[in-house]
Amino acid sequence: MPPFDTLNQAWTVWDGPAPGPEDAVLEYTRELDKFLAEIERRAFRMAQVALRDPDDALDVVQDAMLKLARNYASRPSAEWRPLFYRILENGIRDLQRRRTVRKRIMSWLPGPKDDPDGEAQDPLDNVADQAPAIPEALMQGQAMQQLEVSLRALPARQREAFMLRNFEGLDVAETATAMGCSQGSVKTHYSRAVHTLREQLGEVW
Amino acid sequence: MNEQSRDSFEERAQALFHDSVEGLDFATRARLTQARNAVIEAASASRRSWFLRVGVLTPAAGVTAAAILAAFLWLGSPLSQHAVTVADGQANFEDLELVASADEGDAMDMLQDDIEFYDWAEKAADPGPPA
Repeated sequence: MPPFDTLNQAWTVWDGPAPGPEDAVLEYTRELDKFLAEIERRAFRMAQVALRDPDDALDVVQDAMLKLARNYASRPSAEWRPLFYRILENGIRDLQRRRTVRKRIMSWLPGPKDDPDGEAQDPLDNVADQAPAIPEALMQGQAMQQLEVSLRALPARQREAFMLRNFEGLDVAETATAMGCSQGSVKTHYSRAVHTLREQLGEVW
Repeated sequence: MNEQSRDSFEERAQALFHDSVEGLDFATRARLTQARNAVIEAASASRRSWFLRVGVLTPAAGVTAAAILAAFLWLGSPLSQHAVTVADGQANFEDLELVASADEGDAMDMLQDDIEFYDWAEKAADPGPPA
């Protein structure tokens, strides 16, 4: 390759994120918008399953979108999905750590104990439902709620592996990228998650 | 448990999740769309400024550097038709320093932003001794 006399010559040969006209910005924006639109609802539901709070879930998803656009936009779009979920899972973990710290601090403080995550059992939960027939949609909703409760009880890495593989449909390699671990670990976490969930839900499903 | 029961369990879990995604309420969908639009707008503005820096500041930095070089040659030339006093020379040098320092800041910003490109360009321009 001949030496470059000017930077402009180098730009013409470089195969990285080359500068271009306004069309390049539009094309990039359109591609990013399409990717995020395709993924945002599932990402939100996965964050909601992990965090329970819809506002927190929305914040984490938007933050993941921003970080992907800022830090990884130059990567090929085929790599965006595992990268996005890696950012999302990191965001979920960070938020859960902050909650744990907050809960510990609250437990040290005097006065009535708050229940920031709403974990206290509602007495109405134990009241039997007298409705004679349960519509299919409601039954499906209840089944999903049971699945969510069981997922939250799993160790974090098992929950991540199950949601990424089963809900999002990532393959083992993509899941490993998203989780930042080996493919063997993904298989182990996923297998244990399925085993535990099936044991817990098999009777009622 | 056999393979068949494992598959049906996973399929049911997946179907339930997708149903719950489809069943998201309008308000949540609207908030997600709003969040995405904000991200796209920010990303688009960031990309435009990147193109602007590369497309405009690179030639601008070259022009400025050429102007500084020309000014140095002009001031230091014994054949210059202008009589340059010591005081004038100091004033001109102060002006040059101002221009040069401002330009250096821009150049450093560009270098930091496009460090990957400069690294690649340096390696491509100097392939090393032939084998």
